[in-house]
Amino acid sequence: MARENWRIYLQAYTASLQAKLEYRVDFLVSVATSMMMQAAALSLLWIVLGAVPMLAGWSPPQVLFLFGMTAICLGGSELFFNQIWTLPQAIVMGDLDRLLTYPVRALPFYLVTRPELHAFGNLLTGAAYVVGSLCWLHAAWYVWLGVPLFWLCGMLTYTSVLVWFASLSFRFIGPQLSSMMIGHNLLQATRYPLSTYPRFVRAVLLFIFPFGTFHYLPASVLFGKGAPLVALAAAPVATIVCLLLAQKAWDRGLKRYESTGS
Amino acid sequence: MSAVSPWRGELRAQAALFVRAARTNFAYKPAMLLGMATVGLGYAVPMLVWKQIYAQPRVHLPVPASQLFPYLLLAAALNFCSSMGVEWRVGQRIRLGLIATDLLRPVDFQLTQLAQALADVWLNTVMVLPFVGLSYLLWGRAALPHDAVAFAGFCASSLLALLIQFAVAFIFVQTAFITLSNYGIFVARAALQLTFSGVSAPLALFPPLLRGVAQRLPFCHTIYTPVSIYLGSISGRALVEALAIQAAWALGLLVLGRALLRLSLRYLDIQGG
Repeated sequence: MARENWRIYLQAYTASLQAKLEYRVDFLVSVATSMMMQAAALSLLWIVLGAVPMLAGWSPPQVLFLFGMTAICLGGSELFFNQIWTLPQAIVMGDLDRLLTYPVRALPFYLVTRPELHAFGNLLTGAAYVVGSLCWLHAAWYVWLGVPLFWLCGMLTYTSVLVWFASLSFRFIGPQLSSMMIGHNLLQATRYPLSTYPRFVRAVLLFIFPFGTFHYLPASVLFGKGAPLVALAAAPVATIVCLLLAQKAWDRGLKRYESTGS
Repeated sequence: MSAVSPWRGELRAQAALFVRAARTNFAYKPAMLLGMATVGLGYAVPMLVWKQIYAQPRVHLPVPASQLFPYLLLAAALNFCSSMGVEWRVGQRIRLGLIATDLLRPVDFQLTQLAQALADVWLNTVMVLPFVGLSYLLWGRAALPHDAVAFAGFCASSLLALLIQFAVAFIFVQTAFITLSNYGIFVARAALQLTFSGVSAPLALFPPLLRGVAQRLPFCHTIYTPVSIYLGSISGRALVEALAIQAAWALGLLVLGRALLRLSLRYLDIQGG
């Protein structure tokens, strides 16, 4: 049964992606503009590192690595699980009715059925930043090997946090995305080393919304910032906890779902 | 029945639209509060980064910390105040074909969009006031206008900045005639605004190459110019020149937007059924 479910998710995802790729101008515009946005974010780093050589003890290529990891996690989430952004609207419109009749788990099916094309721009730019920074740093082979694992963890952690926030829409009904933008902005905050921030903010980004676990902590270990080796395990652990909490938040929210009258 | 002049009728219609749009915006209070939290969070990041830099020993930058932080907070406040849903609103109407109905109405389409955009600004201004109040608590006199002239100049400059923001958004939204999603339009403008407006740092801190480009684009006149006038960094003759440059950008971009709309409408297909 589980195997059958995976096949259905894959088919649904492929069909949605093909439908999106039909719009070629959209594809090109989306990719170009999301790359522009990543470049815009980098402009502040350019300004900052033009003023001082190091940021909280982190060199330019090390910060660039954090920027890149954030971008590829964002891009991955947008490419595979972007439908979560439409949940508030779907609740208002009663669009979840049909989904609930499908013989598959509702949350993963819902997540994979609306890939976003601008994801490719974030993925490409992020990958360029990561590869560029690791070359610049002459990183060891095991750092290169770790990147895909931490990317996966980051993508799933970010998506889980979005599901937490999106599930609030079952309670506070309205077509707003503001709550999910909090998750998005928190992820973007981790483009800079967490040591830049006050202790309270650092704790929030490591323990409550653990975005710091998939790039800041591994980078602290791998770039010799004095973090213990065990910190490398934080990303997979945080990902599993976040995924479980996301499923719980979704299930609790769904119990409140009342559809719409007409 | 007395005849109403077309201009007066237009103005009355736009004012009524502004009031309605403002009421709609204020209707979603939880969203409004969450929006405030989100925005506060977004703008806190560059501030914390700069705080870390200025805390480092032996750092000598062209802008002292006592000026930079009031600048950043006011820039963030102004940027938020002037964020308008033009791309989303117009893009949606183009996509759904509702623009055909809009164009049949006896009011000017661009002005209608401006009235709605100003309603967005009104909502944003209310949301941002607590943060501006906070700046006075944190920095006292440094966050106050430099003098009465600076304040008057800031008011005029902010108004022109709003017009520039609207005009730029109106130009970008013409892309919605050829794309399905509004995302690209919104992000492209947001990226340029973020890079060149001076919202994350005053232009004096920009690397020379970036500063040179920023000074030749309209985006710096939406944030950097009004905030610099407020803080007294632009004064006297330079203030008058800055206002004239802003007015020229606003006028030029508004006219360009109208021309582009006319051009785009030639290629507009609306599905019947």
